[in-house]
Amino acid sequence: MFGHIMLTRMKCLLRDRQLMFWTLFFPLILGTFFQMAFSNLDKTESFKPIAAAVIENDAYKNNSFFRQLMDTVSEGDSRIFNLTRTVTAEEANQLLEAGDIVGYYTADGNQVSLTVKSSGINQSIMKSFADQYLQTSSAVEEIIQTNPQALQNGILSKLSDELDLMKEVPIGSAPLSLSVNYFYTLIAMACFYGSFLGLKEVTDIQADLSNCAMRVNMSPVHKFKAFLAGMTGALIIHFAEILILLAYVTQILKVDFGSKTGYVLATAFLGCVLGLSFGSLISAAFKKNENTKTAILLTSIMIGSFLAGMMAMNMKYQVMKYMPILSYLNPVNLLTDALYSLYYYDTLDRYLLNMGLMGAFAAVFCLGTYLIIRRRKYASL
Amino acid sequence: MVIKVKNLVKRYDELLALDHLSLEVHKGEIFGLLGPNGSGKTTIINCILSLLKYDKGEIEVFGKPMKPESYDLKRDIGIIMQNVAVFDELTVYENIDYFCGLYIRDKAERKRLVREAIEFVGLEDFTKFYPKKLSGGLLRRLNIACGIAHKPKLIILDEPTVAVDPQSRNKILEGIVKLNEQGATIVYTSHYMEEVEQICSRIVIMDKGKVVATGSKEELKGMIALGEKITVETFAAAQPEHLAELRKLPGIESVEWHDKLLSIKSGKGRNNLEQVLDFLKTRNISFGRIYSELPTLNDVFLEITGKQLRD
Repeated sequence: MFGHIMLTRMKCLLRDRQLMFWTLFFPLILGTFFQMAFSNLDKTESFKPIAAAVIENDAYKNNSFFRQLMDTVSEGDSRIFNLTRTVTAEEANQLLEAGDIVGYYTADGNQVSLTVKSSGINQSIMKSFADQYLQTSSAVEEIIQTNPQALQNGILSKLSDELDLMKEVPIGSAPLSLSVNYFYTLIAMACFYGSFLGLKEVTDIQADLSNCAMRVNMSPVHKFKAFLAGMTGALIIHFAEILILLAYVTQILKVDFGSKTGYVLATAFLGCVLGLSFGSLISAAFKKNENTKTAILLTSIMIGSFLAGMMAMNMKYQVMKYMPILSYLNPVNLLTDALYSLYYYDTLDRYLLNMGLMGAFAAVFCLGTYLIIRRRKYASL
Repeated sequence: MVIKVKNLVKRYDELLALDHLSLEVHKGEIFGLLGPNGSGKTTIINCILSLLKYDKGEIEVFGKPMKPESYDLKRDIGIIMQNVAVFDELTVYENIDYFCGLYIRDKAERKRLVREAIEFVGLEDFTKFYPKKLSGGLLRRLNIACGIAHKPKLIILDEPTVAVDPQSRNKILEGIVKLNEQGATIVYTSHYMEEVEQICSRIVIMDKGKVVATGSKEELKGMIALGEKITVETFAAAQPEHLAELRKLPGIESVEWHDKLLSIKSGKGRNNLEQVLDFLKTRNISFGRIYSELPTLNDVFLEITGKQLRD
């Protein structure tokens, strides 16, 4: 009997095209769009050397410090300049006019001047470079005049060093990724789209919600048994949908979910239970038509996903910073955060906290649904 | 006794839907519940099926109190609701199989019963069709098949012919009689008096949640003063003196002339057609067609409640 009901309910769900679109195909499509939109987010912006020139006049030849500096910054893979050395200013001007270079330096004694034709980021970099050179050379001159002894104590090397008081410490072994959270919210949203399956199951078991349910209620089958069979079928379908989505995201879109596959699957399963039970509770609690209930579910899921960072990644951190309680009351965020903590943290403390809270929410949703649908006589139909 | 309802009261807030209603359904009969829309027919059915809470009264089915957990009783009941109750995602066969499977565990037996139900309602050519592809009449037949496939002893049909074409309606009514002949007790609710008159062996007429009359159709018609109704199509306007003379004939209750139609109502138990024809001939009143009708259940309802059954 249980199997008969479960299999038939599964047929009903699988043949509901609208339901299948929202619970399976829509997350797949959205994931594809995410990949198209965020694929460059993690790639470091590459720096291209600036085409520049320096006039090799007598002052340049005599200024060994500046000459050596220019040689250093125009050599190797991490060079700043693609440097052209010209003999005269006219030659450099011609290159500048032709657009072959961004600007050129002219040495005059210890001073260095910069000539550019227009303003822009590359021109600003060239100016900053010249300013830094002038500041450093001026400092060296001052030291030579006032305290030549300091030169012997390695003051020159210290001048070129930058002091950084901040140290970057990784929180886990996973590489930093700016885009994974979007995909975690996608999985969380997809899990919660399972609420539409839960909604359908309750509609088809509550005699005051549908004619078919009336017929089922009139049969010699315990109502809760029929409901449980239907929900089991819905859970099997929904978990399979999430597995397909996970496989697509990890294998096709190549999004990294870390190495804790077992935990990821456990999270997805609990997410499915949470989504289904959420939908069944909303369906049982509101005696409205199906469209109204769908609107309630959709709005709740979208708000939850927004607060979990689906539309703007910063939102997740803003909520955590200014209203942390909301992070723990938003089941979509708990699911997102469980996947996030599995990826970033080597320890399971935060993950287990999220899973515990999700379990508690699922228990509340299931209990609420049971208390509402357990009644077997209705005041009106 | 298959169903016994005693003193049932059901309120929807201020509205008294069932007002101390009592009725009995005997084994093997086709029991008709006749009443206008809103008279409480569906409410009493839902109370009997233990789907609806009620405020007062007792309900017994097969001699036992009916409760939501009376699974042994439910096993022998088949219900065909007013609204079609089938799953759009399942084919005709799958729908019948699903609902039959809620009663019958054995797969082979279920398969046989589903086949029999399909044959019974004449849906052999539509077993792989989805409900949305079926016409209104075929959909109603599927609705019936889902309710009777498990061979129940008691079948409750709540307005099963609403919005059905005449051909399907006849098929459905013939099927109900056949089910009764096979041994099932039938409870049939309708606001179509012709259907109730056609198939029901005993009838309860309801109005405003109360039973206003009970009996066979002959017994119900015997309760009212009205007898035969004669309608004569006249070619000329009726003279007032002729109408006055007609009213004086023995057994005539009322005479009216309107739009070239002469309507004559006679008292209970009298056949006045012959004397009316004699009167028309002797007065040289030319006439066309003549209709003679016996009182209907609508006349019964009209006389008891003062309003038409379809008001």
